Amino acid sequence: MTSLMDHQARETVGYSFSESTAGVKQHGFYPYTDNGGSTLGITGSDFAILAGDTRSTSGYNINSRMVPKVFKIGGDDETGEGATIVLSVVGFAADGNALKERLDTVVKMYKYQHGKPMSVSACAQRLSTILYQKRFFPYYVHAILAGLDEEGKGALYSYDPVGSYEREQCRAAGAAASLIMPFLDNQVNFKNQYIPGSGEGHALAAKKPEPLPLETVKGLVRDAFTSAVERHIEVGDNLQMVIITKDGIEEVYHPLKKD
Amino acid sequence: MDKLVAQYSRPSHQNESYSEQEQQDLTESLPPLSLKFALPPVANPSAFLRAMTDDHSNPSCPIKLAHGTTTLAFRFQGGIIVCTDSRATAGNWIASQTVKKVIPVSRLSRGEDKPTNDPTPGLLGTMAGGAADCQYWLRYLSQQCTLHEIRHKRRITVAAASKILANLTYSYKGYGLSMGTMLAGVTPQEGPALYYIDSDGTRLPGNLFCVGSGQTFAYGVLDANYRYDLTEQEALALGRRAILAAMHRDAYSGGFINLYHVKEEGWVHHGFDDMNPIFWKTKLESGEFSNVTSEL
Amino acid sequence: MPGFDFSNYNRNAALHARGVPLPKATSTGTTIVGCIYDNGVVIAADTRATSGPIVADKNCEKLHYIAPKIWCAGAGTAADTEFTTALISSNVELHSLSTGRDPRVITCMTMLKQHLFRYQGHIGAYLVVAGVDPTGVGLYTVHAHGSTDKLPYVTMGSGSLAAMSVFESMWQPDLNKEGAIALCSEAIKAGIFNDLGSGSNVDVCVIEKDKPTQLLRNYEKPNERGLKERNYRFPRGTTAWLNQKVISKEDMKKYVTIETLSGDDNLAAGEKMEVDV
Repeated sequence: MTSLMDHQARETVGYSFSESTAGVKQHGFYPYTDNGGSTLGITGSDFAILAGDTRSTSGYNINSRMVPKVFKIGGDDETGEGATIVLSVVGFAADGNALKERLDTVVKMYKYQHGKPMSVSACAQRLSTILYQKRFFPYYVHAILAGLDEEGKGALYSYDPVGSYEREQCRAAGAAASLIMPFLDNQVNFKNQYIPGSGEGHALAAKKPEPLPLETVKGLVRDAFTSAVERHIEVGDNLQMVIITKDGIEEVYHPLKKD
Repeated sequence: MDKLVAQYSRPSHQNESYSEQEQQDLTESLPPLSLKFALPPVANPSAFLRAMTDDHSNPSCPIKLAHGTTTLAFRFQGGIIVCTDSRATAGNWIASQTVKKVIPVSRLSRGEDKPTNDPTPGLLGTMAGGAADCQYWLRYLSQQCTLHEIRHKRRITVAAASKILANLTYSYKGYGLSMGTMLAGVTPQEGPALYYIDSDGTRLPGNLFCVGSGQTFAYGVLDANYRYDLTEQEALALGRRAILAAMHRDAYSGGFINLYHVKEEGWVHHGFDDMNPIFWKTKLESGEFSNVTSEL
Repeated sequence: MPGFDFSNYNRNAALHARGVPLPKATSTGTTIVGCIYDNGVVIAADTRATSGPIVADKNCEKLHYIAPKIWCAGAGTAADTEFTTALISSNVELHSLSTGRDPRVITCMTMLKQHLFRYQGHIGAYLVVAGVDPTGVGLYTVHAHGSTDKLPYVTMGSGSLAAMSVFESMWQPDLNKEGAIALCSEAIKAGIFNDLGSGSNVDVCVIEKDKPTQLLRNYEKPNERGLKERNYRFPRGTTAWLNQKVISKEDMKKYVTIETLSGDDNLAAGEKMEVDV
């Protein structure tokens, strides 16, 4: 059939400016799935808490209601007995698992070769290089590492998918990060909070952040998750909370909404 | 036939476990900052990487990397001023407001292990573009500089250090690295020296550079007020003011102002300060930013 | 000209081609079901509305009125289900007035499918139409492209598979009213708990021969809101401000009329809003 109209012109709309080149290139190779979920970490003067929900999703489906996202690193056996460092991973669960296994092996080997456990700062740097090894084929994960530093203070390191990292007081990652992080900024670092009556106008003094006590932080973590569950469909089922103190690692689970 | 025997004499499941080399890498608890990277099993790795991570060409890409910045450095009679913001963004999301974008590069100066007020010997590098690229390769550079120091019994020149980095980025050209970095240092051979190096492989010596999404705003302030014979106090104030202008107008810059001064004896840190009170102080005391009002 | 305004179509298509994302519509990624019984029909829905992965409304109404004895459950784009059912409701009423007869479910279903077919699926309404009319009990599904089905039990929306699994294992041909309500409620709960697009509460509507229609809003509430452990009330003066201006009631009266209500809460608010304390 002959046609006066060009085929191309019929498919697209008749507008005058050039066809976009920014269009997404189609790839047959797509090795990632987003398994949803969210994690969160807060430190205090002598403890660190890492928490995550236990739901694993793909699309609108729930793969499992009990897949932990927080792992003990460098422990003696499967139970993670004797570990002092904790890692949380959220994003693509398969990459997260591979990353955990890798870091766990490295920390164990360090202990066998040097006869002493790896410090958190060393482990943090090592995790960064592990992530960067896959700079051109990244691990699709947001990792958070927690432990106690050489002075016994809570230490928390957060990572982007290719290994840039930073030590922080608190960090939320994963699906509900954009819901939880502003809450943490306000409640842990006291952002946008001023001391009432401390001055007029510009003299008003900002509330200074200071390390929070353990019970307060536990409450904040649980409230952050009960709120995230209300408004994010990929977060729910159970809350896994791992508390690191000088006495060891305590792990607790709380039920969350299951819808 | 030999080919067939070779192919089938090893069961294929053996290929699933790690090779000897990989096993060694795994058990090595101290890795070399090596140049070996895993690549995706596709014909064009850089196109794959772009589809997965480049949020400029593909706003819905699955992996968002930390980006965005304003950094500046300039030479003046008293040394070199280095100043940066502290914001990291991943797409439209502010990933962090507390990034340290000035990275000490040398053996004695891993920043964290020398918290004194005395000048710390060594070079300074700045970070713009991909946060991980800058952190990793400046650390690699730091390692090379230390080796240089041990081999030659003297500190590396800024020219040599910058060339190591430029050669490196040039060798990875087209792979998708993203970094715009400045190296600043004072050495006996060169005096105060400043270089700009980026992921295209560019390497430029110069008096004054601004790098990052807010560079134009910083250049505006810097070019208007820069002189080589600024006093130390004037130079520090100008660096701070130029970054403030960029933080004010560029949505991808903000947070804290990180200020350094590099002198003959080494570098000195001049604070990591919240921009907000500095902004209001600047506005109220010197009458600048008069477009910002609180009138109802 | 009546109907839809297409004047921005070319502009938006051009912008989209240049990489500008389309605005997100609130969709009821939903579970809706219907089931007939000996003397009538039951439809039910969950109450979650989502925008991407974010819950936009925790307790929305997905059961729509068409006529006193014809109701509709809607999935798909929230605005489309609401406006389509409202439009057909008006037309059904006019039709019933001009014919002087009670409206029939099949009439309503035909009007819906003809309307949706005309727009070739661009109106994203996926509906379950149910009711009782002089010919008996009717239960249909209508898809956005205009296809329809007539079945004794139906499910639609993202949770339709979860809900259908309940029907396929527990449905019987001779259900009574209570049995039908319980079965529909159970099917919706399967959607609520196993489909991420569905959640919160169960709404049920029972339409029975010779009896007034019952809308059982929030028939079950299996997902009560979790309580906060800490108190998030800030002391007065916590927020910084640069300037203040007080507008008195007298000033306001220059521009608008002001009426003062009595302190009775019920006078001002229709439905009480859920508020954090």
